[in-house]
Order: sequence, then C-alpha cells, then structure tokens
Amino acid sequence: MSLPDELTRIADHIDRLTGAVGRAVAWLAVAIVLVQFAVVLMRYGLGIGSIWMQESILYAHAVLFLLAAAWTLANDGHARIDILYAGASPRTKALVDLCGSLLLLLPFMAALAWYAWPYVARSWAILERSQEVSGLPFVYLLKSVLLLFALLMALQGIAQTIRAWAVLRRS
Amino acid sequence: MTGAETLSVVMVAAVCLALMAGYPVALTLGGVALAFAVLGELTGSMSMALIGALPQRIFGVMTNETLLAIPLFVFMGVMLERSRIAEDLLETMGRLFGSLRGGLGVSVAIVGTLLAASKGVVGATTVTLGLIMLPTMLRHAYDPRLAAGTVAATATLAQIFPPAIVLVLLGDQISNAYQAAQLAQGNFAPSSVSVADLFAGAVVPAFMLVGLYIVYLIATAFLRPKAAPAIPADPDAPRGVAMARRLGEVLVAPVALILAVLGSILGGLATPTEAASVGAFGAILLAARRIAPARTWPIDLGILALLAILPLRQLGPSAVLPLIAVAVLSAAIALLRVYRDGTLVQVTAKSTQFVSMIFLILIGATMFSLVFRGLGGDDLVHRALSNLPGGAAAAIVVVMLAMFLLGFIMDAFEIIFVVVPIVAPVLLRMEGIDPVWLGVLMAVNLQTSYMTPPFGPTLFFLRGVAPPEITTRHLYAGVVPFVAIQVAMLIVLWFVPGLATALPHALYGR
Repeated sequence: MSLPDELTRIADHIDRLTGAVGRAVAWLAVAIVLVQFAVVLMRYGLGIGSIWMQESILYAHAVLFLLAAAWTLANDGHARIDILYAGASPRTKALVDLCGSLLLLLPFMAALAWYAWPYVARSWAILERSQEVSGLPFVYLLKSVLLLFALLMALQGIAQTIRAWAVLRRS
Repeated sequence: MTGAETLSVVMVAAVCLALMAGYPVALTLGGVALAFAVLGELTGSMSMALIGALPQRIFGVMTNETLLAIPLFVFMGVMLERSRIAEDLLETMGRLFGSLRGGLGVSVAIVGTLLAASKGVVGATTVTLGLIMLPTMLRHAYDPRLAAGTVAATATLAQIFPPAIVLVLLGDQISNAYQAAQLAQGNFAPSSVSVADLFAGAVVPAFMLVGLYIVYLIATAFLRPKAAPAIPADPDAPRGVAMARRLGEVLVAPVALILAVLGSILGGLATPTEAASVGAFGAILLAARRIAPARTWPIDLGILALLAILPLRQLGPSAVLPLIAVAVLSAAIALLRVYRDGTLVQVTAKSTQFVSMIFLILIGATMFSLVFRGLGGDDLVHRALSNLPGGAAAAIVVVMLAMFLLGFIMDAFEIIFVVVPIVAPVLLRMEGIDPVWLGVLMAVNLQTSYMTPPFGPTLFFLRGVAPPEITTRHLYAGVVPFVAIQVAMLIVLWFVPGLATALPHALYGR
C-alpha cells in the first residue's frame, strides 16, 4: 500500500474515533434536558434542591461541547466566514484547510495542552473536589476533559490536513 | 501608542484578514492570537505567561450556570423544528387569515415571531419561513419584493425576540462587563445585571418591531392592493368548528409552551436555565404528540399531571409524588416515540454540533481577548473611546457603527464574544449608560445589520432556499423598508431608553 493510501486510512480512523466520541456525548443533550427538568420539578414541586444534580448537569454540558468539537469539525459544523470560501474551488478550499490546520488549529491546541497540563496536574495532586460541601468530588476529572478536548481536536486537525493534502495532490 | 499597543492593532487587522480566508472562526481567532503572543514575547511587548490563564478561563465557561441555558434552548428549537410543528402552524394561520387583504403577509409576521421566539436562531427560522411561506405568497400573486422582505425581516427577529440565544450570550457578557466597570470605579459591592433583565428589556422593542412590520404590511395592502392580494377562500379548508379545532391543535400547544417559558422568566418564577429546561422537555412532549396524533392521551395525561403540580404542591409530597410518577411514565413514552421515529438522534446530533460550534467560538475569543489585553489593546480602546469629542454618545455611536459593519461578515455570536468584552467595560464606566439599555441597543443593532443588503447573512440564507423567481434584486428592494423600520426603532430607543429599561425595572426593581 502506498503512502497516500496509508495516510488516508489514518484519517479514516481518526474520523471514526472523533465521530464515535461525538455521537456518544451527543446523548448528554437529552440527559441535560431531563436532569435539569427533574431539578426544576424537585425544586418547585417538592421544595428539594440538589447541588450534585445541578453540578452533574454542568459536567455533562462541558463534556458535550468540548468532546463534540472535533466531530463537529469533521462535519464542517464550525462557523466560517464564507464570503470568499463558499465560492472557492475545491483546490483553494483544500489549501485554506491545510494552512488552517497546520498554522492555526494545531499550534492553538498545542498551546492549550501545554498550559492546561500543569493546571490539570495541580488539580489531580489534591484530587480537587467541588467547593460546595455536597457537590461532586470530581473537579480534577472535569478539568482533564480540557486535555482530551485538545487531543481530539489536534487529531481531527491531522485528519483535515491529510484530506486537504490528498485533494491538492490529486489536482 | 506604545509598541505593544501597535502590535495589538496589527493583530486585529491580521485576524480580520485571516478570517476572510474562511477557516473556522474560532480556530482562526485562537491561532492568530497565539502567533501574536509569541511575537509579543519576542519583542518584549507581553509575557507568554499570561496565556497560562486560558485553562482557568475555559473552566469558567465550563462551569457557568447562565450559559447552561444555551444547550437547552437550542434543543428546544431544534426539536420544534424537526417535529414540523412550525409547518403546521404556518399552514393553518395562512388559511385562517389569507382571505383578508394582506392577511397572508400578516400571518407570516405573526408565525415568524413565534418561530423566532422558539427557535432563537436566524438560519433555521429563515429556512422554514423561506421554504414554506415564500412559495405560498408567490402562488397567490404577492409582490415578490414584499414577500421576500417580509420573510427576511421576520426571520431575523430570532436575534432579539426573547428567549433568543443571542440575548443569553449578550446578557452574560454585559453582566461580566458591568461588574468589571464598577470594580474599576472603586465600587466593591457592584449591582448586577442578569440575562432575565436583558430578556425583559428586549420584550417591548421586539413587540414594537413586529407591530411596525404588521402596520407596514397592512398599509401596503391598502395602498397597493396588487402587492398583497387577498387569496380566494380554499373550498377544501375546514370551516367553523373544524377550523377552530384545527387551530387550537396546532396553535395552542406551541404558544402555551413559549408563553410558559417566557412568562416564568419574566415573572421571576424561574431562572432562564430552569425555564429553558421546561421548554426543551415540553418540546419533546409536543413532538411525541405530533408523531402519533391518534394516541396522544398518554402524553396529554403527563402534561395535565405536570400542570396540576403547581396548584397542588401545597398539599405536600403525598399529592405531588403520584403526579410526578405519571409525568415520568408519560415522558418515557414520549422519549420512546421520538427515538423510534428517528427524530431524537437527529435532534441530539444537530443541537450538540450547534452548541459545540458556539462554545468553540467562545474559547477562541477568550484566547483572543487574553492576548489583546496582554498587549494593552484594551487601554488603547479605552483611551480612544473616552477622548472622542461628543463624550459617551459619540462613543456609543462609534461602537454601534463598528458592530453594524462587523455584522456583515461575522455572526452575532462572534461579535458578542470578541467585541463586547473589550468595549462594554469602557462604555459602562461612562456617565448615564444603563447596561440593559446598552445590551438591547446592541441586540437590535446586530439584528438590523443581519438583514441589511448587500451582506446581511439572512439574505444569504434566504437566497439559498428562495424559489428561482425571486431575484437578488427583489430581495434587496423588499427588505429596505424593513431596514428603515429597524433604523427608526434604533433612533427611538436612543431617545427613549425607557422602552428597554422600564419593564425590567417594573419586574425586578432594578
């Protein structure tokens, strides 16, 4: 198998991974609706509040938008200013995506991971918990999602680079 | 201007240029800002260590309870869209009012407003209205300009009609800016402004806009009867009692849902996030009713049980728990129906990607503001805005013009995340500028920009779904009178701030 085919297969694998993660965390949208509504029912119907339920919704929301970002990128769901892009040839589009992933996405995610690492490590060192007494004791896990986000986005950036390169090579 | 400040100006120019290439906005903002941080470090203009605050900032977004309203409102809008409740509504209203002169146009304006309030996203509203109402209006010999203008203007209401997503994001940013402005003035017990305040502030201007659209439509129908003719009564259309029942079926449920959401926020009963969850949950139930119209009783029973909780809750848990049990069963049936139908998978996927898109922009914009501030750009903006001849008024006009022009190329989300954190703290430090008024002014301004030819994004959305007999020229000519209404509204708001501030004041006593 030639190198380009090999690379395209890597891009396919990445798409499958980010797609699986994205589709999985998408179900958290339903969970957010149901749990938040349950919180409302409990509060207005029974007069009970639950901090850990409220925090679990925040966790679900954070995981949802961070871990679905790479899948959204694969589906071209992130807003572009397409005044010029929309009418561009496939070759120009591929060039924009190639430069964009190499010069913008990958460095940005690398920087985020670089600065997030000590931030997350500090949280793990004390197994940081919620500031509320009855809150969730998993703040260190929540913060780790930042690193996972950077990793998935970087992987998707690599896939985007490979596909853009393939388009440029063909034409 | 110091060297660092010059660099911050160059960065803004570089971002604008890079954005035009068309790579996703969020990543362009973050990537270009990173490059300038490196440049700043190399030239000694700023310290890269400042970026160390980025993870903490993003974590702040991850744990922000106000922003939790976003996924809920998005879910509600997408669910109502996919379940085709809106389409039913449009069709029925068109039949009801179509036989009046200009009636079709007025029903588009009314249903469009309802859609705008439930969907909160211009793109989705434009597509629905454009696909269904535009062909209907053309078939009945409406002036294509009037038809296209009506659809474009009403769809754009989704930007400001509460509970618009734009207002949630703007409210969050204005609230942060207001705190910062007061702290900077040495007020260490700052008063706050909330998303609910902004919702309340937008209600009167939004209704006035709809009212003015309708006045314009009726006036046109009478002055130029050929532009908006009455359509002949449909012989197959249900009449009398049957029509009333049909109308009740399609109209009452969605309207009640929207009123429940808005009413509970404005009445101070619930936070926007809580109300949004009621809206999203209600949307699931309504969608399930629409899927199996012959067997709606399990769902109806659940809705009744939920409604009964409010008056019966004084009786204590023994009265409420059985009702909750009924509601849970009913919800399970509803979820099963929307799942089997395939709607649920589509709705979760679409809402998730949309939410992820919004928050990725927020992350990119956070990086941008960090570096912009690190280079001293905010001081530069502060000095520039404070030293304008004409004081606070001139500063606002300059900011509004800049936002209006940016609206041609950028989404409202992007402008809110990038521009508001930089300019709002400066503006709110000036004498006599009310944060709610400023927020509503910004929202109406962005909305106006959204439909202004030749670059208004709504016009592009509509272009994509309009039938071929609508030309771009029709579209531009048709929307101009509505843009004039918008500008008039902005001017009135400028001179009568009470339109935005009176309702929040009356409701919450701010």
